[in-house]
Amino acid sequence: MPTEPDADLVLTLRVNGDRKRLLIPANRTLLNLLRQDLGLTGSKHGCDVGDCGACTVLMNGAPRLSCVTLAADAEGAELLTVEGVSVGGALHPLQAAFHEQVAAQCGYCTPGFIMALKALFDERPDPSDEELNEVLGANICRCTGYTKILAAARQARERMNGRSA
Amino acid sequence: MSEHEKPSGEPVPVGRRGGKIDGLPKITGAARFTDDLTLPGMLHGAFLRSPHAHARILSIDVSAAAALPGVYAVLTGADLPTPYGVIPVAQDEHALAVGKVLFIGDEVAAVAAVDQETARRAAALIRVEYEPLEGVFTIEDALNPDKPLLHDERRRKGDTNVLRRVFQKYGDPEAGFAEADVILESSYDYPGSTHVPLETQVALAQPHPDGKLTLWSSTQIPHYLHRIVAKVLGMREQDVRVIKPDVGAGYGGKSDPFANELCAAALARKTGRPVKFILDREEVFYAHRGRHPTRMTLKMGVTKDGRITAADFKAWAAGGAYASYGVVTAYYFGVFLPLPYKLDHWQFESHRCYTNHPPCGPKRGHGAIQPRFALELHLDKLAHAIGMSPEALRLKNTVEPDTETSNGLRITSVALKECVDKVVAASGYLEKRGKLGPNRGIGLATSAYMCGALHPIVQSEMPQSAVQICADRSGRVSILSGTADIGQGSNHMLAAIVAGRLGIPETDCVVLESDTGLTPVDLGSYSSRVTFFAGNAAKMAAEQLYAVIRAAAAEKLGGDDVVMAGGKVFRASAPEKALEFADAVQLAEERHGTLGFVGHYKPPKIGSRFRRQSVGPSPAYSFTAQVAEVVVDPETGFVTVERIWAAHDCGKALNPTIVEGQIEGCVYMGVGEALGEEQSYTKTGLHRAPSILEYKIPTVFETPEITTIIVESNDKEGPYGAKEAGEGPQLSTVPAIANAIFDACGVWMNEAPFTPDRVLKAIERRDREARRAAAEEGA
Amino acid sequence: MLPLPTFSVLSPRSVADAVGMLTDHPEARLIAGGTDLLPSMKYGLFSPPALIRLGGVAALQDITTTEEGGLRIGSGATLRAVGRDPRVQRLYPALAAATRTVATSTIQAMGTLGGNLMLDTRCAWYNQSSFWRGALGGCLKCHSGPEGAICHVAPKGKGCYAAHSADTAPGLLLYGAEVELVSSRGARQVAVSALYGEDGRDWIRRAPDELLTAVILPPPPPGAVVHRKLRARASIDYPLLLTAAAFDPEGGPRVVVSAVGPRPILLSGLAEAFRDGGVEAVAEAGYKQVSPLSTHV
Repeated sequence: MPTEPDADLVLTLRVNGDRKRLLIPANRTLLNLLRQDLGLTGSKHGCDVGDCGACTVLMNGAPRLSCVTLAADAEGAELLTVEGVSVGGALHPLQAAFHEQVAAQCGYCTPGFIMALKALFDERPDPSDEELNEVLGANICRCTGYTKILAAARQARERMNGRSA
Repeated sequence: MSEHEKPSGEPVPVGRRGGKIDGLPKITGAARFTDDLTLPGMLHGAFLRSPHAHARILSIDVSAAAALPGVYAVLTGADLPTPYGVIPVAQDEHALAVGKVLFIGDEVAAVAAVDQETARRAAALIRVEYEPLEGVFTIEDALNPDKPLLHDERRRKGDTNVLRRVFQKYGDPEAGFAEADVILESSYDYPGSTHVPLETQVALAQPHPDGKLTLWSSTQIPHYLHRIVAKVLGMREQDVRVIKPDVGAGYGGKSDPFANELCAAALARKTGRPVKFILDREEVFYAHRGRHPTRMTLKMGVTKDGRITAADFKAWAAGGAYASYGVVTAYYFGVFLPLPYKLDHWQFESHRCYTNHPPCGPKRGHGAIQPRFALELHLDKLAHAIGMSPEALRLKNTVEPDTETSNGLRITSVALKECVDKVVAASGYLEKRGKLGPNRGIGLATSAYMCGALHPIVQSEMPQSAVQICADRSGRVSILSGTADIGQGSNHMLAAIVAGRLGIPETDCVVLESDTGLTPVDLGSYSSRVTFFAGNAAKMAAEQLYAVIRAAAAEKLGGDDVVMAGGKVFRASAPEKALEFADAVQLAEERHGTLGFVGHYKPPKIGSRFRRQSVGPSPAYSFTAQVAEVVVDPETGFVTVERIWAAHDCGKALNPTIVEGQIEGCVYMGVGEALGEEQSYTKTGLHRAPSILEYKIPTVFETPEITTIIVESNDKEGPYGAKEAGEGPQLSTVPAIANAIFDACGVWMNEAPFTPDRVLKAIERRDREARRAAAEEGA
Repeated sequence: MLPLPTFSVLSPRSVADAVGMLTDHPEARLIAGGTDLLPSMKYGLFSPPALIRLGGVAALQDITTTEEGGLRIGSGATLRAVGRDPRVQRLYPALAAATRTVATSTIQAMGTLGGNLMLDTRCAWYNQSSFWRGALGGCLKCHSGPEGAICHVAPKGKGCYAAHSADTAPGLLLYGAEVELVSSRGARQVAVSALYGEDGRDWIRRAPDELLTAVILPPPPPGAVVHRKLRARASIDYPLLLTAAAFDPEGGPRVVVSAVGPRPILLSGLAEAFRDGGVEAVAEAGYKQVSPLSTHV
């Protein structure tokens, strides 16, 4: 184990299923790794200090604010960003519901909401309204008053559980 | 799906619910906002900002910054000396400070470097020598002729820091007050607040070898930005192209040209390389242009049976360091005061002042939010005083359709009574008021707002909106428009109008918007003008295309009763022999040549009795009624807004889901202004809360359950009946909450936001007064 | 975009590695969830030459039952993991509740229990950008600027009143929890009640080379312990007031309040107040012992 610190790091990880190996400066945030180094611009800079949730991605299945995560923390990790949510051209039920309910107005917060909600649905396929709200509470939307976002989350929940909505 | 009857009797189907034609990229991460764009060789900009609220710049030394490896250019005020401002009569801004700095955060110098880290490091190396000046921080300071002027060049003897004073008088207020049985006068304070769009301001400028320039920016006003970039950079307008990519919302906060846009352009020209210039979150609080903090007094009289006889209103706004739209604000304060009520005898006096703070400007409900707060609280006080239900008092004074107000506003469609009836019924207002028990209450408010300004910012007789549509043999219809979709759904609105007219799916339309190199001029997304103005332009273009296709199909099908619906073109009398839309387009193209049509909108010339009323009149007005139900915690002073019912007369909902979203967004923003949002400053002018952590925008937990009710008055001049929905609904929210707090615990909250400390103080005052009254009774 | 200052990263795999690195690099900072450290570094509050990442030390994430019937919670366990642990929920419900009031659900999934206990004191005049603090002129806590000798919250006072804002600390204090601090000099245990200093600048009694490895909880006391947090918004926000209260039918009420000064305060004289005037008297007695200042961010 070397104890001399490295100014640059070699990072190996999987992003949306693809294996990536990169040389990055040690002070790279995960958000800048995604946006600058990998060109995945779906995750957004809203506040850059962990207040708004627009940069939320999944790391090994758990939601993370990528603007306050060191890229170094993603070594060996499995990352999922908004670009990886719809597989094979098919929208995820959450995305379909967001579209139908017009839950995205300006759309800047939307990737963060979709990722935070996806983390919940992956873990708890039939979450309660309270659990949905707890996740919505982690993200700021300035356009919708959260009303259509909650409606979309509920609609996705109903459809994913084979109930009509 | 509902149908709107055209005068000709032909039904035009509009009003489909659900997804926007351009909605998918925003939920898959494919949308491209300005910060998502990169160009080869791109440099990054950073500002040096003033740490002083008011100071003279004695010297600037950029040598250390310029010498830092990776730095390509440094600009100061001397490089961009041309003043500008969005309003022609108030050209008081510079891209970088010239001579003086006027608030903490004012831009002093700009750097372009190889990356943001280097640009920021270089900006920090710039040495500025300042001579601090006395600051102007309050209304009293601004009105005091002994205080220094922010804009020295305006100096005349006795001058103060008042940018604009407006006084208007209608009827005979004195006589009106004489008629009144009850007269009340109160003071009100409304806080400054800011937009906080989730996307910060971002600009990307690309210089071209032929001397031209392309600027991508997160703007609501590509057209004005285009003009001002050319002016400040000394370029010909035809050499500048402004493109607005996807924008992460604005709410009015991106309606001015900003220093990052002008400096990106200037740095790109200076270095010959593309320059991206992003504001960080804190910087957006300094760029601001939000709600004016406003002190008001209102005196109103009513008769015992609830007729409003007279009003006298005064307003003073501390507007920050630059004018922005402040001249307009000063007019709006008064012009929209009475609406939606009849009021014959009244006057107002408003002052928009300069102070050494970040500049105020237009925020959702611009200029109308503050007077509405005062007037709607005042109406409840008057109702209380004469023992009348607040809802009955409002209904008694409501403005009637097809009338003219005392200040010369032409009123056309009005469905306010229906809005009031519907929210009252849905909320149970009449059953609940006064009966919800201690610390729970219900309140009502109503409002009206404009659908675009009759008179453009820059006076001209040219169209204010224009749309070009083309159909080709594939059946695809393209819509070119200079409107700025910033999330409100204006692209979808254009498609809904065109598709509705042509009887095709909205998704068969492609909207190309906001590229001043390609799209016809539109003045931008402000003053709730887009649906009414650009929508009418789209309708005009679509109807020409419709007529040509229909005529070609009639020839082919052998009859005049041709209908276009469901993607097909057929005779009403023989629907089984239908042409595909694309086939009909081909027939038209053979007959007419290539299919391209333009439509435009110029508001009608509305003769006003008052020539001076150039700011405020609109071709139509939207109307709103809202009821709020709140709970007050008397121990902590916390107010919880549990539910809001909002009924809005939007004329005609071209897409009800989008209209609901606009109403919900308005209510939400109102709840934020009611409960805790405030641009507040230390005594030295330093922003107290320049972050999303500190500036208390509501999370999902503070947001009430919102019930929206769409009311359609079918405006005869609106595009297929439509009026605005994006701003008007916010006007009612804060006063409805204030009136509900009174119903809950008997205190009038004359000062917003209704923070726990203010509410607790009001409750303590109530209890003190009750004790004193009891003691006096005992004595 | 707010850039981070430059630094290098060390990635230990074991506690011994981490402690060794801390000894070798005394200026380095430890990073676990990063949700407080990285914003502070983006704001330029400090600029360490190296960060020691604790995320790779798996052993720090363990939650195990102790022989005494209590729990030993690794400092690297996320707040979410702690709050969801059935043993925590059963034995220490006030701790579980406290983890669920920290910031947001996403931050609970990132932040760790150790990180929460090591949360620096906070103040509206301190937790700001370099530009903002420069325009202010500095303060006592940031040790710089012409105003560096002034506390803007209490200009006449001598100390720094930055507020202790760790949601989990009051409950842990009432549960009698201790933390384990490990350095190359050995390991020691310190009660949570003795972990914090009395000034906002000197708020933690941890040596710079010590690593907080675990929180050790004794078996729970008899009677209920509850946690309450008052904040401007029901998500995102740091506390305006934290309280944890325990009631033991034998010993009477015990209450800790925090977020009103640099350290959690165990209120005194409550047993007497309760005997004389019940719960209302306890609240009055507590209210008199607390004098919040406007430090909150």
